[in-house]
Amino acid sequence: MRAFAYERPESLAEAVGLLTEHGPEARLLAGGTDLIIRLRDGTIRPRVVVDVKRIRELDDGIRQTGAGLTIGARATMTAIGADERIRRDFTALAEAAAVVGAVQIRNRATLAGNTCNASPAADTVPALLAFDAVVVAAGPAGERRIRVNDLLVRSGVTTLTQGELVTAIELPQPDVARSSVHLRRTRRRGHDLAAVTVACVVRADGSTRIAYGSLGPRPVLVGDDSGLLADPAVPDDAKAALLAELFTGASPSPRSMRASPDYRVAMLHVLGLRAVRAAMGRLTGPP
Amino acid sequence: MTARTRRIELTVNGRSRFVEVAVHHTLLEAVRDDLGLTGTKECCLVGECGACTVLVDGQSVDSCLMLAVEADGASVTTVEGLADGDRLARLQLAFLDTGAAQCGFCIPGQLISAEALLATTPHPTRAEIEEGLAGNLCRCAGYEQIFEAVELAARAEAPA
Amino acid sequence: MSENGPVGGSPPRVGGIGRVTGRQAYVADIRLEDALHVKLVAIDVARARIVGIDASAALTVPGVRLVITAADLPDPMPRFGPQWQDRPVLAVGETHYHGEPVAAVAADTVDAAEEAARLVGVEFEELPAVFTIAAALAPDAPLVQDPSLRPGDPLARTNVLREHHYGWGNVDAAGGDAEVVVEGTYAFPMVTQFAIEPHAFIAAPDGDGIAIWSSIQHPSWLQRVIAGLVKLPLAKVRVFAPDPGGGFGGKQHAKYEPLVAFMALRAGRPCRLVLTLEETFQAVRRGACEVHVRTGLRRDGTLVFRDVEANYLIGAYADIADRTVGKGSYTAGGPYNTPAVRILARSVLSHTVPSTAFRGFGNPQQIWAIESNMDEAARVLGIDPVQLRLRNIAARGDDFLPGDTRADGQWAETIERAAALIDWGSSVPAGRGRGIAAGLKSGPTTGLSYSTVRLLADGSVVVSAGTSDMGQGARTIFAQIAAQELGAALDWVTVVMGDTAVVPYDQQTSASRSSVLMGNAVLNACRDVQAKVRSMAARLESVDESDVVVDKGEVRIDGRVWPLRDVLVRGLGRLGGEIIGLGEMRKEAEPEHPLGGTAAFYEFNCTAVELEVDRETGDITIHRHVTVSDVGRALNPMQVRGQDEGAAVMGLGHTLMEHYILDETGRIRNLGAIDYRIPTSMDLPASIESAIVENGDGPGPYGAKGMSEGALLSVAPAVAAAVRDATGVSIRDLPLTPERVWRALREAEAEAASQ
Repeated sequence: MRAFAYERPESLAEAVGLLTEHGPEARLLAGGTDLIIRLRDGTIRPRVVVDVKRIRELDDGIRQTGAGLTIGARATMTAIGADERIRRDFTALAEAAAVVGAVQIRNRATLAGNTCNASPAADTVPALLAFDAVVVAAGPAGERRIRVNDLLVRSGVTTLTQGELVTAIELPQPDVARSSVHLRRTRRRGHDLAAVTVACVVRADGSTRIAYGSLGPRPVLVGDDSGLLADPAVPDDAKAALLAELFTGASPSPRSMRASPDYRVAMLHVLGLRAVRAAMGRLTGPP
Repeated sequence: MTARTRRIELTVNGRSRFVEVAVHHTLLEAVRDDLGLTGTKECCLVGECGACTVLVDGQSVDSCLMLAVEADGASVTTVEGLADGDRLARLQLAFLDTGAAQCGFCIPGQLISAEALLATTPHPTRAEIEEGLAGNLCRCAGYEQIFEAVELAARAEAPA
Repeated sequence: MSENGPVGGSPPRVGGIGRVTGRQAYVADIRLEDALHVKLVAIDVARARIVGIDASAALTVPGVRLVITAADLPDPMPRFGPQWQDRPVLAVGETHYHGEPVAAVAADTVDAAEEAARLVGVEFEELPAVFTIAAALAPDAPLVQDPSLRPGDPLARTNVLREHHYGWGNVDAAGGDAEVVVEGTYAFPMVTQFAIEPHAFIAAPDGDGIAIWSSIQHPSWLQRVIAGLVKLPLAKVRVFAPDPGGGFGGKQHAKYEPLVAFMALRAGRPCRLVLTLEETFQAVRRGACEVHVRTGLRRDGTLVFRDVEANYLIGAYADIADRTVGKGSYTAGGPYNTPAVRILARSVLSHTVPSTAFRGFGNPQQIWAIESNMDEAARVLGIDPVQLRLRNIAARGDDFLPGDTRADGQWAETIERAAALIDWGSSVPAGRGRGIAAGLKSGPTTGLSYSTVRLLADGSVVVSAGTSDMGQGARTIFAQIAAQELGAALDWVTVVMGDTAVVPYDQQTSASRSSVLMGNAVLNACRDVQAKVRSMAARLESVDESDVVVDKGEVRIDGRVWPLRDVLVRGLGRLGGEIIGLGEMRKEAEPEHPLGGTAAFYEFNCTAVELEVDRETGDITIHRHVTVSDVGRALNPMQVRGQDEGAAVMGLGHTLMEHYILDETGRIRNLGAIDYRIPTSMDLPASIESAIVENGDGPGPYGAKGMSEGALLSVAPAVAAAVRDATGVSIRDLPLTPERVWRALREAEAEAASQ
C-alpha cells in the first residue's frame, strides 16, 4: 500500500478542521472495509487518512428518540442487523445489514461509511431510501440534515461539501403501521455484491415505497400512492405492469461483469413483485 | 512520501505488546511481520477469504482490512492464542478429531471465526455455523468436517 | 482388512497439530535473515510488444537492491517447461498473456519493492490477442508462439501446439449400426485453482550451490529444472518443499522459482516472492475447452460409436497443458464398452494465462461433454439414465480401452450405490429434478518413488518420502503403513518430506498416485526392514532365515513370538544403531503407448444430484448431492471423505459459478476474490453424502487405488442433467450461473412459443 499520514482526531471540530484543511487529499476511515481495498489497489491515493473512531461526539449506538431511531456514525452492520427495534420497525434495513459481506466485514463496516461510500450496489441504501432516512452532517458551517435521497449523486459522489462528515443517521418513526422486506440477487448464496437490491415498504394505508440499487449510478426510490400494489385483490400481472412503469428509470451499466443489463432489469421486476408480496404478507401475517 | 510510524500498545493473546508500526500497514502485516505471529495467513487481501481473521476486542475481523494503528489499545487474539500452553482448546481438539484440517491454510481463520461464533452462540444450529463461517473460504474441504468440528466443540462445552 | 494396525482407521492427521495451532510453516512463513523481497512488474494488457523498460526511477527508492529485466538474464533467454522448454524466465520482446512479468524488483522491504515496482517505467505497444478457440484457429490469427520455438513441427505456423488422435474401431463404418445419433457441442470455462495459499518462492545462495523453498508439488522435478537453468549439479541444488496450502495441480511445475533463483545468485542474498491472489490467477488455470460429441447408439441404448473432437484453449506456454489434453482426451470414450471410438483433441495456444494441471487433468472437460451427451441420449431414447450407464459400463476385466489396462473395478456397483443413495427411481418431489453421471480418469502411466524407512533402536520409525502433502494426507498414510508393518504406535512414527537433500527421489505428486506409488515404496522399505530383522532374528536364534516370520511388529519362530522391538534391542547390541530399509516402486514407461504407459489404476466415480430451479431467477438449489468413489481400499476413511467432499464442492464451483471474465481485448476483468466466486459454506448442497466402494482391487498397499480427483469429474454433467430433468432445458455451457440458467429458460420458452 502507498504510504499516507494517519490522523486520529478526538473531537468533531478537530476532524472537521482536518477535512477542511486537506480537502480531497483526506479520506475518512470508519470500518475500513471499502477504504482499505481502494488504498491497496491504488484507486484512491490520499495524503491523509482521518480515523473517525476516537471522535468523542460520534457513537456506535442506536438511540430511540421521540422522532425515531438515531444510528450513530460508528454503528456497525452487526449491531444494526441485531437490533430488536430495527428488526421490528425497519426490517428491510436489518435484513440488508445482515448480508453485507460476511461476519468479519459486518463487525467493522458502518452504516454511515457504507452510505457515504455511495456505491450504486450498497446493500443498505435502498432500505434507507425506502424509510426516508436522513443523515446528520457536521461541517465548517455547522450541522445540517440531508435526506439520503438528496445525499447520493452517483458512484462515489455525495452532496457532502468539503469538510463535512456524517455524524448520525436518523430513521423517522412511521405514522402508520407498515412492513418491509429486503431482497437481492447475487451470484451465489455466500457473501457477494448484489446484481440487484430491492427494499420495499408497504404501509397500512395502502401506499408502497420501493427502492432499488445496482441498476444505475445510484439507488433509486419510487412509490405508489394509489394503493394498487398493496391491494391483495389486485392480480399479479396488474401489479407487474405498474412496477414496470415505476422501474422505467432503471439504467444498468452495460459494462458490468456481475450481471448483464437485461438480466438485472428482469430480476428487478421479479424481486419487485416478490418484495411487495412479502411485505404485504408481513403486514397481515404473524409478527 | 516518507512513511509515518506510530507506536501502538495492544494486548496480543493476553500479553501486552508495544510495537512501532507503519501507519499504512495493516493489522495483518503487523501481526505477521512486526509481532512474528505467522499463524494468521495472507491470501486475498480484500476481506473475502477470511484467512487473515483475528479477534479484535472479541469480534472476528479480517485483519487485512484494518490498519495496524486501528488496533491501538485493543485486545487481539490470533490462532496462537487459542491454546493454553500445550493444552489445545476444545475447538482445536475438535478440528483434529473430525479431520477438518486438510492443507490447513484456512484453518487459523476458521478457528478464530468458530471461536467468535461459539462465544455468542454456544450451541449453534448447522445454519448458524454455515453463516458464522461464511467469511472463511476453504478450497480443500467440502466444509462438512469443519462444521462437525464446531458442533463437536459445542457439545464438549458444559451445557448452558 | 488388516486387523491389528492403524491402516483403515482414521487416526488424526499427522501434521494436524501444526495446522490447528498456526505453527505449521508454509513458504510465506519462512523468515530468512537478509532476505530481499521481490515484486513482479507486468503490463496491464493481454498482449504487448515491449518497447523499453526504464528502471532508473525504481532504483532510487531506498532499499531497492536489484531491478531485473530480460536484458539482465543470459542471452539466449533461458526457457523452461515440463513438455516444451518454451517459457522464458522473464518476458523478452513481447508479453503473451495478461500478467506475464517483464521485470522484477528486489528490495530490503516489501514496501520498497512495491513502490519500486510501481516506478519501473515500461513502454509498450498493445498488440491484438487471441483468446478464444475460434480466434486462435482462424487462418489469419496472430501466432502465439514464434515458429522458431518448434523447429520441424508442421504445426509451427499455427496456434495448434499438438493434435492428438486416439481411438479404435471404425466410427464411420459403425455409423450404419447406430439407430440414433445424439450430437452436441459443450463448453467448459477457464477456471483457476484458487488454493488458499498463494504461490510462494524463495531462493538463496547456499555455499557453492543454491537452496530453493517453494510450494511445489514436485520437489525432485523442480530440482532438475533449476539445476539445468543455473547450471549446477543436482547435488548442489537443494529444494525445500514445505506442505503447500492447497495445490490441486497448480503448484506442480516451476513458475517463478527460476526467476528468484537468478535474482538470488545475482544479488548474493535470499530472494523471496509471494504472489498476490490476483497474480496466482494470472499464473495458473485449467484449460478451457469446447467439445463436439457425436454418439451413436442402438434403440436399446447399446453404444455403437463415440466421435469426439475437442479443442482445449491452453494458453501462451505449454506447461503441462498438452499432457492434460492428451491424457484427458484419451479416455473420452468413457468407462463404457464402445465398439468404435474416434477422438481428436487439439492443444490450442492463446494469449491467455498458461494452463496447467488441475484436479482431473483434462478429464472434467471431456466428461462434461460426454456425460451430458449420454444424458441427452437417454432422453432421446426414453431410457433411464442409470440404466443407460449400466447397459454399457465396463465390467472388471473388460478390455474397454484397447491397448491399455483393463477395467479394474466393479464400476456398476459404484453406479448402483449412487443411484440407491439418491433414491433413484422413486418419485421426485414436485419442482425438482435428478441427474446422474459417471466419471473415469486413468491414473499415473509411469512412476518412480523411493522411500527409506529407518527403524530406530527403540522401535520408533523415521519414514522419508518425497511426496508433497498438500492436504490430501499423504504424510498420515505413510505413517499408518509404517506403523502397521513395523508394529509401532502411530505417534512413534515421524515422516520426513520436502527436502531433496535428505529425502530420496520421488517423481512427482500428481494423478492421485501417491498412496499407490509412494505407498508401495514405503511398504517395500518396510519389507526391507522386516527382511533385515528376519536375518537378525535368525542369527540370534541360530535358525534359518526361512524359519523366521516378521509380521506387523512381531517376530515368530516355530510357535515362539517376540515383539519386534525386543529382537531389535537384542540384535543391535552394545553399539546400538538402527535398521535402514530402502523401498522403490517403479512403473516403467512404455514408449509405444500413446500416453507413454498404461494406467496404473483408474479412478471411477458416480455422482448424482437432486435439485430445484427457480424458474424466475435461474437459481439452482441442490438438495442432495451423492458422490461414490471406487477406491480399492480406504487407507484412512476420514481423509478419503474429506478429499471426496472437497472435490465435490470444487466441482460445484466450476459447475455453478467459476469462470474468468475477459474483456474484448483479452484482459482478465475478475482477478481476485471479489469477482471470482468459489463456493462458501453457504453454497453447499443441503445434504452431501459421500460413499466409497472397497473391493481391495487396487495396486496400492492393502488393495488401495488412488483417489482425490474422482469426485470432481462428473459433478457438472450430473447437475446439468438434473436441471434438464427439472426444467426440460439442456444447457451445454458452464458455469450454470443463475443468469445463464435464466437465459436458457427464456430462450427455450421463446422457442416453444414460436412453434
